[in-house]
Amino acid sequence: MSTPAAHAVAVRTRGIDMFFGDGETKVTALKQADFEANRGELIMLVGPSGCGKTTLLSVIAGTLTPQTGTVEVFGQRLDGLSQEELTTFRRKHLGFVFQSFNLIPTLTVLENVMVPLLIQGTAQAVAVAKARAMLEKVGLKGREEGRPNALSGGQQQRVAIARALVHEPSLLICDEPTSALDKDTGAQIMQMVRDLSRSPERCVVVVTHDHRIFRFADRIAEMEDGRIRRVVEDASLLDTNHL
Amino acid sequence: MYRLALNMLFGDRAKLAMLLCGLAFSALLMAQQTSVFFGIMSWTYTPVHNIRAPIWVSDPMVEQANDAKPMRDTDLYRVRSVDGVAWAAPLHTSFLQARMQDGNFKLITMVGIDADTFAGAPAVLSQGRIEDLRLPNTVIVDEWGAQLMGRVTKGPDGKEVVIPLKVGDTFEVNDLEARIVGICKVRRAFTGGPFVYTTYDRTKLYTLGARRTLSFMLVEPQPGVDPAKLCARIEADTGLKAWTSETVIWSWSDLSLARNTFWWFWKNTGIPFSFGTAVALGLFVGIAVSGQTFYSFVLENLKYFAAIKAMGAGMGVIARMLLVQAFTAGLLGFGLGVGMAQAIGRAMIEKGMPPFVMFPQIFWATLALVLGISLVSAIIGIIKVSRVDAATVFRG
Ligand SMILES: Nc1ncnc2c1ncn2[C@@H]1O[C@H](COP(=O)(O)OP(=O)(O)OP(=O)(O)O)[C@@H](O)[C@H]1O
Ligand SMILES: [Mg+2]
Repeated sequence: MSTPAAHAVAVRTRGIDMFFGDGETKVTALKQADFEANRGELIMLVGPSGCGKTTLLSVIAGTLTPQTGTVEVFGQRLDGLSQEELTTFRRKHLGFVFQSFNLIPTLTVLENVMVPLLIQGTAQAVAVAKARAMLEKVGLKGREEGRPNALSGGQQQRVAIARALVHEPSLLICDEPTSALDKDTGAQIMQMVRDLSRSPERCVVVVTHDHRIFRFADRIAEMEDGRIRRVVEDASLLDTNHL
Repeated sequence: MYRLALNMLFGDRAKLAMLLCGLAFSALLMAQQTSVFFGIMSWTYTPVHNIRAPIWVSDPMVEQANDAKPMRDTDLYRVRSVDGVAWAAPLHTSFLQARMQDGNFKLITMVGIDADTFAGAPAVLSQGRIEDLRLPNTVIVDEWGAQLMGRVTKGPDGKEVVIPLKVGDTFEVNDLEARIVGICKVRRAFTGGPFVYTTYDRTKLYTLGARRTLSFMLVEPQPGVDPAKLCARIEADTGLKAWTSETVIWSWSDLSLARNTFWWFWKNTGIPFSFGTAVALGLFVGIAVSGQTFYSFVLENLKYFAAIKAMGAGMGVIARMLLVQAFTAGLLGFGLGVGMAQAIGRAMIEKGMPPFVMFPQIFWATLALVLGISLVSAIIGIIKVSRVDAATVFRG
């Protein structure tokens, strides 16, 4: 029998082991990582460099397949899916915000935002309209035809957020979204992510080192040596020296 | 997505210009080198080109068009009596020394044509009339030859200028006067010397009464008679060698004089090797440059393709995007390069040097090479994107 709590779960990993290479060069990135995020929640993954945050995020995003363990995202088991099925899954349900924005410099701002829609096969005209509306939401109306490089870092990350949300994904994944931004811009960006993704049908996972944005999290999962050490609801409970 | 792929390609004008320059340069190099090479090689069968006759008949030992093994004049009657021959005219070719007015000697190619039919006469005269060849001691010289045999003087500014021969000028061949009554336009020959046309009968005088002057016979088949079949009949009936005159060196027909000449030079001279190394170098540099430029374009875009892949684009879509970019760039670069090659070729033909023959085969081969290089670069890009792992995407 499924409990109401089970319905509330958006992301769940159980017993994830992930290592790279083998023999002498074998690196264990995740060992028995158990992680849970709820629907409607913005959860942060924090921890020292090399503890496996990005790796865990990649596993949740279906871009890395762990050696053992189970991954479930919005009721869909990812372990056992083929590469093709994983691709389809990402296309429909995932939005990405990267540390280095990863905007395509030779495309216009509008075209960059259209990419996830066009990947889905959305008609050009529909994609243009949706991308315009999304850019307006992130406050970039009027910049559609410009190139990303003509924008400030904060503006570029807003384009990235528009791109990550334009196809209304259930899971938004952000890896160090503010590390290339100053304090105020970083706060603005996080505010925007939180506002745009506040919905019971959505979940946001943010990997970060940036303690200045911890206050935007509903919960914070602290990682250490490839596993979740503990989950707290208040950043002040974190051992910040440790980070 | 394909429109986006093209926008990615055209988005950065400076990089696109670099990419196209690289591809165009290599297409130019490949097309240019091979065209000049085949241009030079096509000079070997210039006689077939200039002397337009459906069928050539020669001594059975002759292997190519520049090789004259004179036959008996009576052979002409034997050929004329072969079933299916409309007419047969004699042709003489030989290398002779011409003594110019200033006492200098020049090597010439004398061509003797039949005075009745003018079979084998040049197609275009820029000065004079072909009929004037029937006057005593007359010749027609080709434009390039008129330049070569011209008088060198100092111009008002002290620079050397050449005054080309013109109608009315004279020179001597074996102490016999040759008066120019016409200047013709013909293709240059491999041997380089001026073409001096006169009548077949007069060549006996200019060659000091050589016993045999019949180098070739030019034959016209009767209407409806297939030249190739007639060739076979002439060979069977007379024991002479008969050739067709199509100037297609790629044909499989063993009868074509042009083709046999071309490949005779290919096999028996060092020309293909010495020019061939330049061509090979051109091809090599072309492949290296265009491969390198497109490959670096792919590498620069690798991380964006990786991001697109992470966002859920299948490898099929990404592969097609890369192919669209590769073929678009390849086609544009090819067009520019071959266009430039043509323009340069035209300009060189105007000056008469060096020859430039862009066979359709060269055009298509260059296209295939450039697209092949683009394809290989795209495939390498596709493999690279397919191997890119998530970590790269997140680290950027
Ligand atoms: N593709 C890979 N090949 C080999 N080792 C890897 C690979 N990706 C990650 N690792 C290793 O796995 C471990 C965890 O890496 P991960 O990138 O997940 O850490 P992180 O917590 O995101 O660190 P950071 O805070 O520096 O981004 C590290 O020791 C790293 O070197
Ligand atoms: Mg990381």
